[in-house]
Formats: sequence, structure tokens, C-alpha cells
Amino acid sequence: MSRILVPCHVKGTVALQVGDVRTSQGRPGVLVIDVTFPSVAPFELQEITFKNYYTAFLSIRVRQHTSAHTTAKWLTCLRDYCLMPDPHSEEGAQEYVSLFKHQMLCDMARVSELRLILRQPSPLWLSFTVEELQIYQQGPKSPSMTFPKWLSHPVPCEQPALLCESLPDPSRVSSEVQQMWALTEMIRASHTSARIGRFDVDGCYDLNLLSYT
Amino acid sequence: MATVEKRRPTVIPPAGFTDSGRQSVSQAAGATESEEDFLRQVGVTEMLRAALLKVLEARPEEPIAFLAHYFENMGLRSPVNGGAGEPPGQLLLQQQRLGRALWHLRLAHHSQRAAFNSNVTVAYECLSAGGRRKRPGLDGRTYSELLRRICRDGRAPEEVVAPLLRKVQCRDHEAVPLSVFRAGTLTCFVLLEFVARAGALFQLLQDPAAAVADRRVGQAVLDTLEGALQASDAAAPARFLEAGSRLGPDSLALALDRAVGGRRPSAPMTREEFLERAAALFIAKVKPVG
Repeated sequence: MSRILVPCHVKGTVALQVGDVRTSQGRPGVLVIDVTFPSVAPFELQEITFKNYYTAFLSIRVRQHTSAHTTAKWLTCLRDYCLMPDPHSEEGAQEYVSLFKHQMLCDMARVSELRLILRQPSPLWLSFTVEELQIYQQGPKSPSMTFPKWLSHPVPCEQPALLCESLPDPSRVSSEVQQMWALTEMIRASHTSARIGRFDVDGCYDLNLLSYT
Repeated sequence: MATVEKRRPTVIPPAGFTDSGRQSVSQAAGATESEEDFLRQVGVTEMLRAALLKVLEARPEEPIAFLAHYFENMGLRSPVNGGAGEPPGQLLLQQQRLGRALWHLRLAHHSQRAAFNSNVTVAYECLSAGGRRKRPGLDGRTYSELLRRICRDGRAPEEVVAPLLRKVQCRDHEAVPLSVFRAGTLTCFVLLEFVARAGALFQLLQDPAAAVADRRVGQAVLDTLEGALQASDAAAPARFLEAGSRLGPDSLALALDRAVGGRRPSAPMTREEFLERAAALFIAKVKPVG
């Protein structure tokens, strides 16, 4: 299944915190990343890939494009997806993750905006985020390969009605010929790129690059 | 002291063999050496180990004869006379080197690629070693001579092999690098196997009564092989599949049937002619040196 990368604009992470960010001492445990698609029409989302960096849980909300002129609502398509089984330990902390259309809770037919909500309840980590975020949409179906002629038009198996007595056994002849073919193919494939530095003009030397006297 | 020394090697695992030797040397200063010591100092353990590795690699049918050849070559490798007497002439030394190189090259079949490559390297070094009157490096004359010897000892007819040698040989005064040497020797060995297979194929094709084959049959087989060898622009796997379908028993039987049914019998084909034509197909695919 082919996929096409959709150019997106990832806005800076916004930390959600109770109280004033500047004065309070604690580190925020929730971050929000907004992803917009300024140059692209609403598309069908196929896949989201990113590299995790110490995010424990991920929720994704999507705003779909509606045909009518009603304000589009935010829908949750992924709820508390666990990226780190134990938020205090390293497992899953720096993994590459792919999320697919079929894992989402709602239909992703006409996506116009995405919001990723990252949660990291453990106080151990200084910061957390997701990196290398990439959004993919459905690509065209794989083009039909051109089959070699002999595969698409198999020769009907003609049984030589009565093989002449004098003809040799074809299976043994075939095995010998196939081995000869294989040897020739091997030699054709192996060639040395080293040159001996010979410059030949009509069979006699013009220049001696490597001469041994 | 002797009983202690003898008991120690059984207690310590084999890796500690040298340790016990070292300790005994330091302890028994001036006392008689143990047997392992003596063998190690003379260098026999190393030599035997190398010999056994060579036997395992080559897997000869007659290991004793193989080992005898091996030790003979080992003896030649050390300084020839130790300075006593007249050193052998340049020609004899050259022949010895050629013989040794040939022996090395025959140790492994060309299909065992890693073993064959290492043998090629050893043979190259043996031929390139500098002597008293010889500069280090492999010259074209020795290389061509070696290729001729390989083909001759492989019992391939002269006319069959000559076109290959013309393509692969180097001029007498040229210096041959290792990659050219390796490619040339590999091509020669593969050609010898190819000619052997072609001979077996001719056995199948020939008339049991006479030693010749029906020309139509032989020509049909060679034409099919030539057709399969022609490079198509498809990628490698598709090309192999196509060749396989052409060379399968069914299509070959069809081709033979067509050949025999269509034409009247003509002059028979001899073994030499068949081998020459088959080898020509092979040699056409060999890249010439240059």
C-alpha cells in the first residue's frame, strides 16, 4: 500500500499547567502539539509516524472538514494510547511509532487539523515530546507491472507425440545444458574492474603504463 | 618435579597449555624440557595445525598423498640449500614456483569461493616473491605460462582453449595485479569445468555406435544455449526464469524434435567440433584483459 507524505506545519508545543508557568516550580505533564495543513485540501489520513521522546501517553484529536458551513468540531480519534508501558522506565521512550487509520476511533476521511496531546505523568524526565512527525495519505494503487511476454502467454504444452528413438533423453540433456548456462552466467557476472593499463593501437603498444622489465 | 609437571597439564584446561610450559621453563632452569615444550619450540605444533586445517579445507580423496605433497612443498619453501652448494638455476626455481602455485590453486574447487580466493592469494604471493635475481611481482610471462599449464593439465584440447588464452593472457613484460590474476585463473578453471560438461553432453547426444552426433541435434542444442545466453533487458531474476524455461526438458525436446523433423540428415558432428563451438559460446562472454 503506497503512501504520500502530506506537508504539514507543526506548531510549537504548548504546556498545559495549572497556575502560572513562570512562577510554579513543577514541570508540566501535558503538552499539546497542533498540526495544520495550510497548503493541502482536506485529505484522508492513512498513517502517522513519529519518533517518541519520553512521552508516556498520546491522545489525538482531529478536526474534520464538513461540507456545510457549520463550525467543525474536534473529535477524539485516539485516546490515551500507551507509548511507554512504565512511565518511569526507559521502555518505549525513544521508539519509532506508526499509527494507522484502522486504529483510530473515528473516520479520518477529511482531515483539516490535528492536535496531539502528550502526557508524561512521571517526574523523572526533564522534558518529553514527539519528533519527526510525518503524516501520510493514501497513495495511488501500485501500478500494474508489465509481465514478460512469455509469462502472460504460456505456451500450450505440446507433447511430442512420439519422440524418435534416436533422440537423446531431454531431461538429462537439459540438466547438462543448464549447468553450462550457469557457469557462463557466473563468468559473465564476475568481472574485475582492475585494468592492466594497456593502451593498444592496432595491436601494438602506444603507451606503457605498467611495464615490467 | 617431573611428576608435578606431568600432572599440571591435565588439571588446567587446554588453553593453559602454554602456561604450564612457561612455568616449567622458569622453574626448571637447566632441567630437561617436557615433551610439549620441545614440540612447541621446534614449531611442530603450529605446522601440524596448519597442515590439518589445509586437509579440512581441501578434503582430498587421498589424504596421505595430499599431506606428503604438502610437506614436500613446505620443505621447498624454506631457504633452499641453507647456503651450502650451488643454488639452483633461475629456470629450476621458476619451475618450482609454478608447480607450487599450481598445487595451491588446485586445492579448492572454484565453487568454494572463499577457499579458492585464499588459495589464489597464496599462489600469487608465491609467484611474486622476490628472489636473488628476480624482482618482486608477477610478470606476464609467468602468468601466461601458468594459465597454459592449468588448461593443459585440465585435459582440455588446445584449439578449444586457445581463444580464451588469447583473451585473458597478459603481455610478457606487463605486471599482473592480484585481481587480474584471480579473474584469469578463475576463468580458466571454470572453462575447464564447462568443457567437461560439454563433453558429457556430447556423450548424451552421440550415436552409441559411432563416436559422432547428428549435426542437427548438436546444432539445435547449441542454438538453444546461445539463445538463453543472450542478454535481455529484463532484470536478473526475470532473465534467469526466462533462460530456465527455454532450457527446460520440454522446450528442449520440442527444439530437438523440430530440428530432426525438419531437415535431412547432414554430415555428422565430431566431438572436437562440438566442444569448440560450445567453448566459443562461453568465451564470447569473457571480458578481455585491458
